[in-house]
Amino acid sequence: MEIHIRTNGSVTIIDLAGNLTIGKSEESLRTIVTQLIAEEKKLLLLNLADVPTIDSSGIGAMIKSFTSVKAVNGKLKVLKPSRMAHQLLTITGLLSVLETFEDEKTAISSF
Amino acid sequence: MQKSAQLKIMNRFGVTRMLPLSKAVFTIGRKAENDLQLLSDTVSRQHAEIVYENDTYYLVDVGSKRGTYVNDQRVERCALHHQDRLRIGGDDEQQIIFLDDSVENASAIFSSSPNLTLSSPSKDRTPITSANEELQKLARFVEVNQAFKFSMTPDDVLCLIVDAAIEITRAERGFLMLLNAEGNLEFKVARDRNRNWMLGNEFEMSRSVVEESFKQNRSVIINDSKVTMAGLPRDSVRNLDLRSIACIPLRRFQMTENMDATTILKRDVIGVLYVDSNVSGGMLTQTSLKLLESLAFEATKSLESVRLMHEEAEKKNLELELGMAREVQIALSPSAIKAMEHFEVAASSVPSRYVGGDFYDLIPMKDGRFVFALGDVSGKGVAAALLAAMAQGALQVQFASNHSLTEVITSLNKVLAQRSESNRFITLFCAVLDGEGHLTYINAGHNLPILARTTSETETLTTRSVLLGAFDFVEYKPRQTRLNPGDVVVMYTDGVTEAVNSDNEMFGEDRLEELVKRSVSLSAEQIKQRILDEVISFTRGLPQGDDITLIVLKLKS
Repeated sequence: MEIHIRTNGSVTIIDLAGNLTIGKSEESLRTIVTQLIAEEKKLLLLNLADVPTIDSSGIGAMIKSFTSVKAVNGKLKVLKPSRMAHQLLTITGLLSVLETFEDEKTAISSF
Repeated sequence: MQKSAQLKIMNRFGVTRMLPLSKAVFTIGRKAENDLQLLSDTVSRQHAEIVYENDTYYLVDVGSKRGTYVNDQRVERCALHHQDRLRIGGDDEQQIIFLDDSVENASAIFSSSPNLTLSSPSKDRTPITSANEELQKLARFVEVNQAFKFSMTPDDVLCLIVDAAIEITRAERGFLMLLNAEGNLEFKVARDRNRNWMLGNEFEMSRSVVEESFKQNRSVIINDSKVTMAGLPRDSVRNLDLRSIACIPLRRFQMTENMDATTILKRDVIGVLYVDSNVSGGMLTQTSLKLLESLAFEATKSLESVRLMHEEAEKKNLELELGMAREVQIALSPSAIKAMEHFEVAASSVPSRYVGGDFYDLIPMKDGRFVFALGDVSGKGVAAALLAAMAQGALQVQFASNHSLTEVITSLNKVLAQRSESNRFITLFCAVLDGEGHLTYINAGHNLPILARTTSETETLTTRSVLLGAFDFVEYKPRQTRLNPGDVVVMYTDGVTEAVNSDNEMFGEDRLEELVKRSVSLSAEQIKQRILDEVISFTRGLPQGDDITLIVLKLKS
């Protein structure tokens, strides 16, 4: 899994590439988010455009990230989940909590 | 001063060794810690002792299973006399004779007389005869080991190897070192020729020889250290006052299949076998070197098979425990529901492993309402099963004390969010049915149950909330639907819809919905069975990938 960080205004965009599944990838996501929070970056957009598969550990990492950002009055939103990821977020009811966008501009302006 | 005596031990191949009784208490048993270790499963771990009291040696049975014998008489405690035959348990591999040296020396004086043919045991080491004969002995020695390996631990094998190496080379001491997980050589066995264990500070050895042998993957022999060996730092050898050293690498051979299907032989050095002696005169002949190398080879082989066997045994234990865990899990699920007045219900859960993360429960409430719960813990196996059991217990207790559906689910979610690992969640469908057919339900991130009406409409129970254990702030709101007589509700876990066939195609929700629709006139039990049968025939013998759990509820007409 590759992770790239870029900023757009006050929003930090986390570009993920690869599967978000048990092991290194979910750990690195959690580490990055902890690091960003420490750097006072609290408006995060998680870009899932290049993430084909997410498993329960990946979901766990997203939930954990969301919770830690929320705890410091920040926000974490999701961009372009794959069809499979979208379905998973739907079934698990997470869409009601995790705001999801198909378009980066709209996502940025929603913060 | 203890009276000098010894045991003469002869195995069935005629190999004899002498063990001096140098201690006040000399122990005999199957464990390696014993002064005399006998590797028969008829010998107890701690079997007998030879104790020295009032100038006499006594053989004492220390609570063995199969008894201790002197001249074929079973004994508990018995004074030993010169030439007594000892038998330990049912071990007939060895012949053990007690020799009182004072008597022995006296008789030796007479042994020059041609009439007296006492076989006087030589105090010299066993002479090594021809290579062939010894190799044969060794081969059989290994055979015997194989036969005993069932009662042996890897440590027993190592100990046996070192003792045999000392015996073959007539060395003073022997060591066996194996590569540990950190990649360093670690002492496993350190024995002297009297088969005593040497403790950590008692031995110094030539590290340079060990390293040379290990790194170069070759036998290093220093025979009477006046001989110079090219390239070896000699100081350590001289400082230690050692005359002869032999160090043999232990190699593991592995046949590996290459990409192009040719087999290659991989040789890993996994340790060294080291013997040394400070007696001059040369410890090693060409013959005994060959023997030593064969021993190292056989040793590595039997070590490997013993190790595999122990792994196998551990696996069996684990399977046994998992089997018990499964029984507990089955016992937690309701086995049979007594006939209900206004509905039928059939349910089952088939874990893909011994225990699974799926669970279901059917809980009667005091006011006559009835709870149906079906859940799936993320992950599989024991960890998931533990959380499933915890959730099921919480549901039972709370519903039994008449808490509302919302209260129960909200509090379960809070506990899970605060207590469980961050990647463990539960998706749960939970519904309460009253006598009028009102079904109140909460769906916490679970697959949508199918509702098939007798009017041949099907619908899914569509409300969704967040799965349990994710956020402690979620409020779970129930939804209600009205069931009519004959209507069927099928609650299921994703093991049903995500069952995959050999074309990598999923069973899918549409197929399930269609099946339920066609089966609406059947009984709850028949519908459940039909779904399970369809899933099995769909996957056509492919192993079940996930737990499969179903509850079928049908309102009576």
